[in-house]
Amino acid sequence: MSTGTLDKLPIGKSARILDVGGEAALQQRLLEMGLLPGVDVTVVRQAPLGDPIEVKVMGYSLSLRRSEAANVQIETTA
Amino acid sequence: MTEGHARHDRHVIALMGNPNTGKSSLFSALTGTRQKVANFPGVTVEAKIGTARFENSEITVIDLPGTYSMAARSPDERVATDALLGRIEGTPKPDGVIIVLDASSLDRNLYIGTQILEFGLPAVVALTMVDVAESRGITVDVAKLSETLGVPVVVINAPKGRGLDDLKSTLHRTLHHPGKVLELDYPDDFLRGVNTLYNELCDLGVKLGFKPTRPEALRLLVDGAGPFFDECEEVGGEEFISKFFEIREKAAGGRSLSMHEAQTRYGAIGKWMQEVKQTETREGRTRTDIVDGILTHKFWGSLVFIVVMGLIFQSIYSWSGPLMDAIDGSFGALGEWVGGMMSDGALKSLVVDGVIAGVGGVLIFLPQILVLFLFIAILEDLGYMARAAFLMDRLMSRFGLNGRSFIPMLSGFACAIPAIMGTRVIEDRNTRLTTIFLAPFMSCSARLPVYVLFIAAFVPQMKVLGFIELQGLVLFAMYWVGVFAAIPTALVLKKGILKSKATPFLLELPSYKTPRLKAVGRTLWDRGGSFIKRAGTIILAVSVLVWAAGYFPHSQEVDDKYDAQLAEVESAYADSILEFNPEEDADSLLAQYKAIDDAHEERVAEAEEAAEDDDALEQAISESKAERNAEMAKLAAKSADAEQALSHYADWKALEERRGEIENLRGGEHLEDSFLGRAGHVIEPAVEPLGWDWRIGMAAIASFPAREVIVATLGTIFNLGGDEDEESETLREVVKNAERKDGSKLFTLATALSIMVFFALCAQCAATLAVMRRETNSWKWPIASFLYMTVLAYIGALVTYQVAHALGG
Ligand SMILES: Nc1nc2c(ncn2[C@@H]2O[C@H](COP(=O)(O)OP(=O)(O)O)[C@@H](O)[C@H]2O)c(=O)[nH]1
Ligand SMILES: [Mg+2]
Repeated sequence: MSTGTLDKLPIGKSARILDVGGEAALQQRLLEMGLLPGVDVTVVRQAPLGDPIEVKVMGYSLSLRRSEAANVQIETTA
Repeated sequence: MTEGHARHDRHVIALMGNPNTGKSSLFSALTGTRQKVANFPGVTVEAKIGTARFENSEITVIDLPGTYSMAARSPDERVATDALLGRIEGTPKPDGVIIVLDASSLDRNLYIGTQILEFGLPAVVALTMVDVAESRGITVDVAKLSETLGVPVVVINAPKGRGLDDLKSTLHRTLHHPGKVLELDYPDDFLRGVNTLYNELCDLGVKLGFKPTRPEALRLLVDGAGPFFDECEEVGGEEFISKFFEIREKAAGGRSLSMHEAQTRYGAIGKWMQEVKQTETREGRTRTDIVDGILTHKFWGSLVFIVVMGLIFQSIYSWSGPLMDAIDGSFGALGEWVGGMMSDGALKSLVVDGVIAGVGGVLIFLPQILVLFLFIAILEDLGYMARAAFLMDRLMSRFGLNGRSFIPMLSGFACAIPAIMGTRVIEDRNTRLTTIFLAPFMSCSARLPVYVLFIAAFVPQMKVLGFIELQGLVLFAMYWVGVFAAIPTALVLKKGILKSKATPFLLELPSYKTPRLKAVGRTLWDRGGSFIKRAGTIILAVSVLVWAAGYFPHSQEVDDKYDAQLAEVESAYADSILEFNPEEDADSLLAQYKAIDDAHEERVAEAEEAAEDDDALEQAISESKAERNAEMAKLAAKSADAEQALSHYADWKALEERRGEIENLRGGEHLEDSFLGRAGHVIEPAVEPLGWDWRIGMAAIASFPAREVIVATLGTIFNLGGDEDEESETLREVVKNAERKDGSKLFTLATALSIMVFFALCAQCAATLAVMRRETNSWKWPIASFLYMTVLAYIGALVTYQVAHALGG
């Protein structure tokens, strides 16, 4: 079991969200979009220029910048 | 409510839900063509209002922009709440709401679903995309969902027309017998906070001017900022604010309030879903996954992107060309036709040069707008717009923009009008405003005539480094001038006026869908119509104003002077020559000579287009001349009459030339004497450091309705008449030889460069400013844009001229 932030999660890997932080408006947006503690998230791919990344959460695809993903604490079980 | 009462009732229904859930499809299916764009004052988002009929009742339907949450940290986000509570002027208060939920991502869709349900309005859930969900192995128990939420749920598929009648009758029933209000299990402290704040708000109620509701108290508590907060601060003052933060702190209990809200909502949703939704994991990837594997692939994705963008740009640039020429041509012909039926004078000039030319000047933009929106509508419907934003975000974010700004910026190179209208795809307000502000910096096609005229006349035809055409290089540089000016502007905007705490760019990548022709057609119709209605009137008004400034006072003195000259010239000619009209006397000998001459001129014009270099052109001209002379001699040899007619023809031609010269001089003097010409003189001292004189200054002012007008204005002021275009050799020659008062050359390379830089940077385009005003709903932005760009253009032109002049240009 290891912990980290979502922006560092390798492509193709899944993890469970532990906590979501960040500046108030950003945190609120992340939570509304379904990135909240206890939810599983998978990194699907990154854009050709390396940023943003695409994740699968709650059964849909969400694109977010790495700087934003850095506010999402995760733990990997594998 | 009695049956009799229900007979003629009218209801107002709001459509709400996430983006891409099928709201607009449902809206169109319900209202058909009975719809219009609602004008929400002061905001950049747009809603539509339409009417649907059910049995004997009429239902007004409001299609609100899709959002993921009712959180209202910015005025734009507040619109959803305000519209729901009927607080927007001119928009009726909804009696009920249709919550549109996408079955394929039901969890996230229910987030705003629960927020709306808490408002307690009679509600019906329209469940869409059930087909998509099923293809992914998701089944939704509709009865369970309805039972859990406490409101009716109807499965619909609007594009296929399914479930609409059921939805309407359910809606009708619900309006008369609303269900229960949703109550979620918030933590105790949180709930206590909401209630305390609600009571405080009720105390403020009178001063607020409306009766606050509990869900609003919740929003205020959690959001802790935004327009509602500002209002409360204003009426409640220091006292309220300190109480507010105290309540907040207690309610939060050391955590963040948005965390409490999200966990309560998603906690409830997760529990419901265990009963309502069944997911059977499918082997293999979905269609969207497979397509995305290509379209967002490092290599293939980038390649497709470049091809698609190239296609869009090329299409705006070249597909619209023929259409624009056709519009230009037909309005020119219309002007001539109408002009032919009117007698000379101010009215004719107003109708032909003011109104007809002005209307043409509005319609000329339609092809580009329609072509761009054809692509945007198809790509948006397809789901590709989100991918394009995903691909380009990194690049655009460097300039404080986001991935969605790319297509509007690219379109700006064809025309700023569709570009600014295209910024609607950008959800974030500040990013959208920045993009709107920057789009006119991209060198649009209207600047091209200015570049072409001056480059051809002043930049020598030579190669640098052995293979690069200098003329092409200068043209290329002109395109970069705007980009270079835009970059620091973007950074200043980002750091200054539009400072936003790095707005999040969370973007849903929706599943790919097949675009529907009808929806695409609808978008084109809406965009074209709104441009003509809202921007067209302003553009037309400006055209007429500038026409008037260039026409009046149109003094009789000037006319008398040239009438006298004309009379003097004409007195030397016989009546038969004076009255010769080639169109009426088509069979006459004079007309036959004219036909020979016309054929010669046509050959020369063709040769000018085709000739490789000056030598070839000269040869072609002399050959054609010889042919003409031979044909004329042949005709003259036929009879004595014919021989005499040849010398009459020569006289007539000389007369025509003199007449033309006098008319052009008259036009030039009227223009100099006009308010526009006087304005040119007034600003002369200001434009002298740019290497300009009053004529160029005036032409710059005259080009306000549209940049390319400068070419025709220069034609008039240099006494060539107003029909010259940038390819005209005569205009180039005249411009090259024009002199200042002291006899020195007016245009040098330095002056030419200074004019080009000025036009690359200036905001001399009434249409752009009109569209900016339309899209931002405020005069603030167009005025700021005009002032900023004009100052920038002035400085740019000043530096260019002074440097080039010092270097001997
Ligand atoms: N498969 C499927 N597609 C749908 C359904 N409803 C709408 N669509 C499509 O989903 C896309 C987005 O619809 P739109 O009405 O523009 O969504 P809006 O963003 O909520 O207004 C369009 O391409 C529609 O044709 C549905 O029930 N099933
Ligand atoms: Mg829509």
